[in-house]
Amino acid sequence: MIQNYLKIALRTLLRNKVYSFINIAGLATGMAVAMLIGLWIYDEISYDKSHENYDRIAQVLQHNLYNGEKTTQPSNPAVMAEEIRSHYGSDFKYVLQSSWTSTHILTYGEKKFTKSGNYFEPQVTDMLSLKMLKGTRGGLKEPNSILLSESVAKAYFGDTNPMNKLIKIDNKEIVKVTGVYEDLPYNSSFKAMEYILPWELYLITNPWIKKMDDPWGSNFTQTFVQLADNADLDKVSKKIINVKFNKVAKEYKSYKPEVFLQPMSKWHLYGEFKNGINVGGRIEFVWLFGIIGIFVLLLACINFMNLSTARSEKRAKEVGVRKAIGSARSQLIIQFLSESLLVVVFAFIFSILLVQLILPTFNEVADKKMVILWTNPFFWLLGLSFSLLTGLIAGSYPALYLSSFQPVKVLKGTFKVGRYAAIPRKVLVVIQFTVSVTLIIGTIVVFRQIQHAKNRPIGYNRDGLITMNMQTPDIHNHFETIRGELKSTGAISEMTESGSPTTEVWNTNGGFDWEGKDPNLALDFPNNGVTYEYGKTVGWQFVDGRDFSKDYATDSLAFVVNQAAVKFIGLKNPVGKTLKWNGKPFKIVGVIKDMVVQSPYQPVRPSLFHISKDQENILIIKINPKISSREALSKMETVFKKYNPAVPFEYNFVDEEYAKKFGNEERIGKLATFFAILAIFISCLGIFGLASFTAEQRTKEIGVRKVLGATVLNLWQLLSKDFVFLVMISLLLATPIAYFFMNNWLKKYEYRSDISWWIFVASGLGALLITLLTVSYQAIKAASANPVKSLRTE
Amino acid sequence: MLELKNIFRWYNSGVNRAFVLRDVSLNIEQGEFVSIMGPSGSGKSTLLHILGMMDEPNEGEYSFLGENVLKIKEKQRAELYKKHIGFVFQAYHLIDELTVYENIETPLLYHGIGSSERKSMVADILDRFNIVGKKDLFPNQLSGGQQQLVGIARAIITKPNLILADEPTGNLNSKQGQEIMELFKTLNDEGVTIIQVTHSEKNATYGSRVIELLDGRIER
Repeated sequence: MIQNYLKIALRTLLRNKVYSFINIAGLATGMAVAMLIGLWIYDEISYDKSHENYDRIAQVLQHNLYNGEKTTQPSNPAVMAEEIRSHYGSDFKYVLQSSWTSTHILTYGEKKFTKSGNYFEPQVTDMLSLKMLKGTRGGLKEPNSILLSESVAKAYFGDTNPMNKLIKIDNKEIVKVTGVYEDLPYNSSFKAMEYILPWELYLITNPWIKKMDDPWGSNFTQTFVQLADNADLDKVSKKIINVKFNKVAKEYKSYKPEVFLQPMSKWHLYGEFKNGINVGGRIEFVWLFGIIGIFVLLLACINFMNLSTARSEKRAKEVGVRKAIGSARSQLIIQFLSESLLVVVFAFIFSILLVQLILPTFNEVADKKMVILWTNPFFWLLGLSFSLLTGLIAGSYPALYLSSFQPVKVLKGTFKVGRYAAIPRKVLVVIQFTVSVTLIIGTIVVFRQIQHAKNRPIGYNRDGLITMNMQTPDIHNHFETIRGELKSTGAISEMTESGSPTTEVWNTNGGFDWEGKDPNLALDFPNNGVTYEYGKTVGWQFVDGRDFSKDYATDSLAFVVNQAAVKFIGLKNPVGKTLKWNGKPFKIVGVIKDMVVQSPYQPVRPSLFHISKDQENILIIKINPKISSREALSKMETVFKKYNPAVPFEYNFVDEEYAKKFGNEERIGKLATFFAILAIFISCLGIFGLASFTAEQRTKEIGVRKVLGATVLNLWQLLSKDFVFLVMISLLLATPIAYFFMNNWLKKYEYRSDISWWIFVASGLGALLITLLTVSYQAIKAASANPVKSLRTE
Repeated sequence: MLELKNIFRWYNSGVNRAFVLRDVSLNIEQGEFVSIMGPSGSGKSTLLHILGMMDEPNEGEYSFLGENVLKIKEKQRAELYKKHIGFVFQAYHLIDELTVYENIETPLLYHGIGSSERKSMVADILDRFNIVGKKDLFPNQLSGGQQQLVGIARAIITKPNLILADEPTGNLNSKQGQEIMELFKTLNDEGVTIIQVTHSEKNATYGSRVIELLDGRIER
């Protein structure tokens, strides 16, 4: 019996190739989208799951009251782990201190590269359950050791055994290779950790850490923990809340530091805190794309239902005959359901092929390395049962509808589907277009926001600006000489040292005071240590006062502040006023226009700059605009090789670093475009199918009208009118929905574009145009048909 | 075999009531060959549809093989109809996607008959009608007469006691029509009751009785 049904189903599909293609293609597209999004979501939620102790690992974070706002940070004092261990040791299996993941120069023989890694307390290997390819997990016991990741080991040693070989760090420390660990997967929070050095070594190479007067006053390291087997995270988190508060000096108590634990399961998706509450983060995208995926699939199913029922009049005769020769209604239902299932199975196979094809491009856009989970039985189970479900649901409406035809009416030839039969179909079309237009509007708004932020004046000149890390003291010690030489070769316009690049904030300070400051207000401002050439290098602009100058000896105790700082402090005539830093009086010599440093979407923070005599973190260099950057860089390389031979010549372009800030939003924009196009494609397939059937249905009417004198234009209008009306309704529905969602999304960004009315008009016109194009083909074809043919009675 | 008593069938159009059948009563015995005749619009096809349980009268009684058809449940009625009645249409109404063989086989599927039995039954019919060579062709590859033949084959394969034929030769030329009527005669001789609706006087002569309808009423 089933065989018979499937045979008929297959023959029916082959007979109506266009319809079958539209149906299968539409459904396959919808399924492919759902699959892609499914893979993406799976990837996002399986972050860090490669670590065995996933459920027990957490990071120690702090809330502090900065500038009146509760701000959350991962940076802790270097003594945090020790303190937690001594008071709460029984609640933890490991409490480990770590440096930031930072870049260092690793040298072995002739090979010197910059690689990134951490200084970590030795049990990190157990905590992260690293797979040791060589050596043991105990490899960090001796301070002069290093554990290499598989790929770093390969880069330096190829296939030879790296064990016990000696490597130089930053041209200073010598460490012995005591182990090699398997590369961490790309979806681990520690993936950038290409090597691990012992925490003890960090303390040895930075003796000032142990010598600090107030070890609780500086936060510049990380702390990770693994809970004891029976400990409860929330309880322990509450226990440690005052561990810093109890130790900080009196003047820092107004920051009200609260220490707490964030479990590893939340790191990737819940990275955002507002006012001390974990409000979300990337999880919002998981939701967003999940919903889009469901909707696009819904569109495809709607198509399927619509096209199946639209064809019903063709199948009516067959239904009548079958009933007349003895079929029960239930048997007809099963027959039509099996047809639907056949289509769905084809669509599923087709969709897998589609996904395989699109995956490389998708991976590039989404910045991931996803693969179809061929060997995962769960994937197949989910996919097949989902296909079956789709087939059943999408096929049920047509099956029930078709099997309800009365044989007498059908066979007498007087059968005509009632006017009201078309209504469910129309509702479905409206739903499809509402979703599609909403997606279009959303995409446009996203791109406008990106453009708006890209056009934001950044307060300095990015052109020809590069940064270089200074891991050794050689450059700082020969700063003036190097600067002079670089300038004389014509390679650069200017060069400066700086604590932070112009695209990030690496240092903030508190301890500021001014006349009339609220004594309870605990402060935290970005405070950048620079050399005199900073302003000329980056090209900042003054709205008041002057730049640092060597002509003024007092500039060693001077601040240049930005407009935001002036506003925050509430100074009327800032130039010349005194600002105390840790008790020392500094004079404000100039006010610069706000520089966009961190997020182009958020307001600029009140920031300060001062002259630093110590070695700072980076060099910022302005390439001579009169020559090509390639030429300039090669000249620079020669000079740096002379003074800094042990260090590889590496640099970053500031405008590339700045462009990265838009990476996230641009990715969303691209994905949204991708999905919007697909949604429109599916909706158009649907309309195309429906239009062809409406045209077929009205063949006789068109024939009669033509005989009575209608032109092709009249008929085109007649046939297109209905669809245009449906799209207009969709536009009316989509507008408020899209506005509501996009308004909410934009609220996240302080610096945001507006939602102009023309976006809605443009999207509407676009949708209308596409609809007309799709429908016109059928309409014109029908309108041009020979009336004799259409009116011939069978 | 079957009896109709005071059958009325009407359609409501607005306020008016259009009668198709008025107070129709008749009695048909097993083995009869009845022709129902009358001008267009006289209700012949409707009468046939009611007899075939494809339509229900608004008033009246219908008993078939002793069962009161209108009082029994839908399911039982369908069983009754499936088992005993075969329908032949004017426009043949074959399923275009199926071959001749499959078209003839289809009623057997709905009766739940097993595969090998089906094969033998269909083979017998194909033999009898001399269309074995055409069994894999599709309806659109056959002539009108051949299609009607297939339609009749489909109707009788389940060995019904009653065949209802709605103008079976209406779409055929005279020679094809004659062949069909001969076939009916043969079937009737074998004991199958046949009720046909027809316009043609000639076709009516094959039967044993004629019922004339005019404006929904039986004249003769």
